[in-house]
Amino acid sequence: MEKDKNGKLKIGIYELTGCAGDALLILDCEKELVSIFKAANIQSFLMAKSDNIDGELDVALVEGSVTTEKEKEELLDIRKRAKVVVGIGTCACFGGIQAVFLDKKEWEKNFKKVYGDIKMKHVKPVQSKPINAYIEVDYYLPGCPIGKEQFLSTFNRIIRGNPPELYGFPVCVECKWNENDCLLNKDIPCLGPVTRAGCGSICINHNLPCVGCWGPVEDANLTSEFKLLREKGFDYDFIKKKMATFSGTGMADFLGKLEGEKK
Amino acid sequence: MRITKLKKDNLFPFLEIISEEADLWVPVKKEDKHVFKVVDDFSEIEMNSTRTILPPRKIFLPPNFNMFSVSEKGYKEDFSHVTKKILFGVHPCDIHGLIILDNFNKQAYLDSYYLEARKNTLILGLSCWPDEYCFAKSSNTHVIEEGYDLFFTNLEDFFLVWIGSSQGDDLIRLKPELFDEELKNKDIQTYINWQAERNNAYKWNINFAALPDLMELKYKDPLWERLGDACLACGSCSNVCPTCNCYNIMDKQCLGGKDGKIMRHWDACTLKEYSEVAGGENFREKRADRLKLWYTHKLQAYISKYGKPSCVGCGRCIATCPVDINVRTVGKALIGEEVDAFWARINKEVTK
Ligand code: SF4
Ligand code: SF4
Ligand code: SF4
Ligand code: SF4
Repeated sequence: MEKDKNGKLKIGIYELTGCAGDALLILDCEKELVSIFKAANIQSFLMAKSDNIDGELDVALVEGSVTTEKEKEELLDIRKRAKVVVGIGTCACFGGIQAVFLDKKEWEKNFKKVYGDIKMKHVKPVQSKPINAYIEVDYYLPGCPIGKEQFLSTFNRIIRGNPPELYGFPVCVECKWNENDCLLNKDIPCLGPVTRAGCGSICINHNLPCVGCWGPVEDANLTSEFKLLREKGFDYDFIKKKMATFSGTGMADFLGKLEGEKK
Repeated sequence: MRITKLKKDNLFPFLEIISEEADLWVPVKKEDKHVFKVVDDFSEIEMNSTRTILPPRKIFLPPNFNMFSVSEKGYKEDFSHVTKKILFGVHPCDIHGLIILDNFNKQAYLDSYYLEARKNTLILGLSCWPDEYCFAKSSNTHVIEEGYDLFFTNLEDFFLVWIGSSQGDDLIRLKPELFDEELKNKDIQTYINWQAERNNAYKWNINFAALPDLMELKYKDPLWERLGDACLACGSCSNVCPTCNCYNIMDKQCLGGKDGKIMRHWDACTLKEYSEVAGGENFREKRADRLKLWYTHKLQAYISKYGKPSCVGCGRCIATCPVDINVRTVGKALIGEEVDAFWARINKEVTK
């Protein structure tokens, strides 16, 4: 990657549809914020500043999923301008809560239920999809929102030209490091085994089961998790809804196959 | 080896004195399980604790710690996890686990992070009573002859205290009047009866002697695929096992400056990334292959080399694995017995 005349990489931080939690988390790195702005040439960051320039970029960090035609265009434009695109947050990586309706018909039905027959003049809504539905994504930084430490170390690696180094294992590993008694063994439906670690198993530390907000881990054994929860007495729709809540598209293939099996 | 006696009323005064010498880690309750912790109030100590969720090795090598601090000047080793500690309440099987780790960490490569922490920690063992998961008698790790500084056998209203090292003796010398050198015949008989009763309390056993051959003979058995189908690849079995020791290292660079940290965290061969090498090749991509490695380590390789399994019968994998893959069910399946386990049912399940 090339650096600007001060030897810094040009970076843009963008928000599509989401809760803006990831951008907010970056702003919330109060102690490190000056360092972030010093270490890189932040060209665009709507939540933090008003003098934004939409030019060539070394790295674009994109939060949120695509839910309108306009966002689709915006995203395609970001991809054209940026050498590296990083999806930040579970919405950008897997679609997030707004992608819970996996089936297009189901989405249309629900859309109608909420908005009626209203004609939208300024926005053209589309079914929520993660950014990789439209562009090639170089790196993913999941989390709902992303974690501070995870963000800082990733940001650091990226501005030095290194790929992110994330935990590739499930929440259970951090859960054991925190010496929690396993909730699944108490018949509480925990999605820790199929969810990527990084949050520090914060929910289980507070005696709440993991709901999968960091998105699926690559090696997730969804079939076994599903059958285990079935054996524990949870019904099909409950499990499906639980699994799809945060990472609809991340689970879509699997849940699609399940639908097939069910019929 | 000297054996002395401590009245139960004298235990807390003794712990009080030794806790001035070092951080005292003790077993306490965490909901209906147990964990090792440093406490202010000794009444929290669980004298009849069962296995702790994590084994004592967490006290020597924390799950995630800094190995090196990095700056422009170079690398600086960080040994801040090495402090003076006393670990009270370690059961015999866990002491055996530590002996296995000692061997491992002294073998070809000296792991100074482990060895330094070990050198600075005194082990005060405590006798225990088996529950439905314990099978330490099968591996002969229900009794202990070495590897501790003091060992407390919990009897009626007193402890018999074995002195296993000069450092252990030094602890007693801090306040020798708390102890009672004179053992009465009655005390000895109480101990003999207790031991016999405890030996009979082990509810099940596993034939470790047969397992190395069976691992070899059943290396291609469909059993492994069945286990692989159910395994969640959660790594919990490795994290809770007292004889697992694998780790991974990650760089943590500090923002802006030129400093950084090199963090070391527990890893597990049951996790996919563990066997991934540069270029993305993975030698144990399949869960079945990973489990085969884990069980080869526990049930075969170590037995061939040291004449004993690297499973100490603590029962943690039994209490922990959500899909019932553990030394008991795998051992039974290898021997050809029927097992009642989620992994054995998973493919029979009809999805409604
Ligand atoms: S409580 Fe959840 S995250 Fe923790 S070990 Fe059990 S399944 Fe995994
Ligand atoms: S435990 Fe699960 S739901 Fe909770 S923060 Fe972590 S990933 Fe999200
Ligand atoms: S294999 Fe299981 S029973 Fe054996 S030492 Fe490890 S956790 Fe304990
Ligand atoms: S055997 Fe059990 S505890 Fe071990 S990784 Fe598989 S599911 Fe997790």
